Amino acid sequence: MADVDLDTLQRWLRTFAASVAEQKDALTSLDAAIGDADHGANMHRGMSAVVEGLSTPPADPATLFKQAGMTLVKSVGGASGPLYGTFFLRMAPATGGAAALDPETFAKALRAGLEGVVARGKAELGDKTMVDALTPALDALDAALSSGESLASALRAASAAADEGRDATTPMVARKGRASYLGERSAGHQDPGATSTALLVAAAATAVAEQGDG
Amino acid sequence: MTVGIVVVSHSRALADAAVALAGEMVTGDGPPLEVAAGLDDGGFGTDAVAIGEAIAGADRGDGVVVLMDLGSAVLSAELALEFLDDDVRERVVLCPAPLVEGLVVAAVSAAGGAPAAEVAAEASDALLAKSGHLGPAPAEAATPEPSAGAEETATFTVGMPHGLHARPAAALVGALRGLDADVRLRNVTVDGPEVSGASLSRVATLGALQGHEIAVRAGGGDAAEAVRRLLALAEDDFGESATVAPPAPVSTGRPIPASAGIGIGPVLAAGAATVAVPAPVPGDQRRRLDDARAGVRDHLRTVRDRAARDIGAAEAAIFDAQALLLDDPEVLADAGARLDAGTDAAQAWADALDEVEGRLAAAADEYLRARAADVRDVRDQVLRALGGVADADTAGDGILVADELTPAEAAVLDPARTPAVVLAGSSPTAHAAILLRARGVPAVVGVGAALAARAREAAVLAVDGSTGEVVVDPDPAALADFRARAEALTEHRDEASRRAGEPAVTRDGTTVLVGVNVGSAADARAGVGADLAGLVRTEFGFLDRREAPDVDEQEAAYRAIAEAMGGRRITLRTLDVGGDKPLDYLPMRAEANPFLGVRGIRLALARPPLLADQLQAIVRVAHDHPVDVMFPMVAGTDELAAARRALDEAVEAVGRGRPADLRVGIMVEVPAAALKAAAFAPDVDFFSIGTNDLTQYTLAAERGNDAVAALADALDPGVLALIAATAEGAGEDVLVAVCGELAGDEQAAALLIGLGVRELSVAPGSVATVKQAVRDVDLALARDLAAAALTCPDATAVRSLLR
Repeated sequence: MADVDLDTLQRWLRTFAASVAEQKDALTSLDAAIGDADHGANMHRGMSAVVEGLSTPPADPATLFKQAGMTLVKSVGGASGPLYGTFFLRMAPATGGAAALDPETFAKALRAGLEGVVARGKAELGDKTMVDALTPALDALDAALSSGESLASALRAASAAADEGRDATTPMVARKGRASYLGERSAGHQDPGATSTALLVAAAATAVAEQGDG
Repeated sequence: MTVGIVVVSHSRALADAAVALAGEMVTGDGPPLEVAAGLDDGGFGTDAVAIGEAIAGADRGDGVVVLMDLGSAVLSAELALEFLDDDVRERVVLCPAPLVEGLVVAAVSAAGGAPAAEVAAEASDALLAKSGHLGPAPAEAATPEPSAGAEETATFTVGMPHGLHARPAAALVGALRGLDADVRLRNVTVDGPEVSGASLSRVATLGALQGHEIAVRAGGGDAAEAVRRLLALAEDDFGESATVAPPAPVSTGRPIPASAGIGIGPVLAAGAATVAVPAPVPGDQRRRLDDARAGVRDHLRTVRDRAARDIGAAEAAIFDAQALLLDDPEVLADAGARLDAGTDAAQAWADALDEVEGRLAAAADEYLRARAADVRDVRDQVLRALGGVADADTAGDGILVADELTPAEAAVLDPARTPAVVLAGSSPTAHAAILLRARGVPAVVGVGAALAARAREAAVLAVDGSTGEVVVDPDPAALADFRARAEALTEHRDEASRRAGEPAVTRDGTTVLVGVNVGSAADARAGVGADLAGLVRTEFGFLDRREAPDVDEQEAAYRAIAEAMGGRRITLRTLDVGGDKPLDYLPMRAEANPFLGVRGIRLALARPPLLADQLQAIVRVAHDHPVDVMFPMVAGTDELAAARRALDEAVEAVGRGRPADLRVGIMVEVPAAALKAAAFAPDVDFFSIGTNDLTQYTLAAERGNDAVAALADALDPGVLALIAATAEGAGEDVLVAVCGELAGDEQAAALLIGLGVRELSVAPGSVATVKQAVRDVDLALARDLAAAALTCPDATAVRSLLR
């Protein structure tokens, strides 16, 4: 299994941006039910800006993540800005400045990003947030890698776990974010943040699989 | 203290409107206020980068309080902290207050000069007024503890003749400390605002005078206990009933020499007379007052800078206090109201200041009474600037006889016009006396009211500032005697000047280095004949600015001094400030006792980047010039070790190896350091005894407090024993220097040399005379003198040995 190179990581972000663009209205309508109806639009604006920034290619993965994080922080506007921004900003130093990331390093960087999100949002599992998709995804990724699976295969497992985590947010009562103001009324709706996070993990699986194919 | 405020909101419109609302509550410029709200395209949202920039923009060095609306505003603000420099981040408070109410209160509190933590705390309490107005919170909102939701109320009447001034207010705050109670006080009599009982400064704002009725409102688990304690205290007049009238200032009636030299001349009596209010002058009265204040402000700055050079930054702080008074919002509001009522500028200013002075002078609290003199000083200076009567106190020629002298008055005396000063009170260690010595004005202090009264009536006075003699209307024989002394003194000084460039060698051939204390390159040039710059006070580069000087700037300043010394050694003392004089960019916790707090090396070690920059600048200069680095206020060997590590790191950072001629030493100011000199000795090249601070710490008598300044006599045998201990611990290889006031006392030279001191660093004007004094010393006799002094019971006995 080759290491994840800079091209693949850029493809990951482009793929995620494309998914967000495609799902923009769906994300916004999820948010309309329990939030302020801006998640799709905000993430679309943010990821479009990130892709725009890729026109000047970054030097290494750390620079790529830092650039993506800062762009999200500046352009998203809602809580996803600091949360996704922190995710990428924390990934950057965890790459150790490598030109390409081996699977363990990539997994470690993702984990650092998750820890950043948890620290920033102070959300726990079950609070009906993006953490509910990201945590099972990275647990699945680590488990698959340690049992010797390829990164592509491990990311597929991670993506499936993220989807499950996303679906599991539906019955939850929100305890963080704007949805928490609704209390019990937030139950019965899928969390938009967990939904976009599942897209992020799926995009990683797609991008790495393409590198494998190539 | 200028705390900035940043408003973070999803909506630019909301933020702007909240800022406008808050602006109505603040007169004048208000605190620095920045908004980070909305997205660039006008949509709702927050941007951590913009917040970071807003915080940096609002920071004046005293911290920033950030108020946020909800959701991403909070997350983005937290993230923004990560983008800030460490030192900026440390002083940012993210405040959970509701945006609109919190902003209004924060703006008012910050405009009033409150520190960041207090601004945030006040803002966080901003809902209390509203919730108080709307009545008790609904039951379900109450916390589970049964009594927590209950509110206790009571009233008491202030019984103390001087009202609820600083001391009883401190007792009040102290009594409530530790209780789970939010106590609010309101002066019902004046229909004043409600203030927190937890804050001394807020309680002081009650303006509670005798007979005023104070309403108490307490919430929280210990509300009942809080009210009980308060009422008990009030019943007991806050402990003031037992306080007897404060003793009159000590007047020894025993003249003390305070500044050497002979003065003969007519008397210029200055008593309690205040500057007369000048007659009205037509024109824009507000403009006239502002111009006069601006002039006085400039003058105070000049005096402050001069005092900082002559006597050190800490002492010079008194002039900052006066400058603050000049711009005190309360005073200005009062004067402004009088101007609005049609009063002339001078009369309005005099009335406003008289009222403040009257309040302070009547206070039972010693500190407050001392401040009354400052108020008077500021009042008079502005009146003079308003074209008032010429300065009757100190403008004329003649020997000045007064009860006391303020530092501001002392700092501007000209020896050519004021041959001498005679004071009824004061002491040789008071600020005024230190300044008189620096100015070269002979002075005798503590002569007592009786002698001062006779002196005021005299036609001619003869004063000997070396012996303390004050002769009223001297007969021809006495006059001839004083003239002969003056002549001898002049001759002695001329001789000293002629020989200034020669080394100072005792009769038996022991060389004693005589250095100059400098605070600028100009001082270095003024110290003609000095063997070295034995104390370079580097504070001058750090005062009066918004940010610390960088390495390049410091290097240039130190290099200029080294070049002015032309190859002679310079001893650079690292930054020596403390909480009594915080720098704008060095926010410090308020300390109850800053002279025993984080100052000197303690402060430097707590701010590694600051020390690192300074040491790098010093190391760079040390590659080209002979340089000593000296650490102030060292108390323990671990501090020295840490400082030396920082120096090693600076050497490494500069990257040119260790400068061959770089020596390291410490100030000995803390008695413990003197007693542990042997423990420090292996790691230093020299000790430099700061006798001013060593004396105040040894006698537990603050130099700046004239009420105890007489105790703080550097010739106290206790202080001398510590100097002897330092010399003994230093051994053969470590040079012992004295760079305090005592080093400049010609009469003390033999004593210090006898105690083992081999370097004296003095004010520029004293270099030649101290060198000359060294030349008269015989080491064997000096050692006998030192031994005798160490057995003396007090400073007076030591002083009589020196004559």
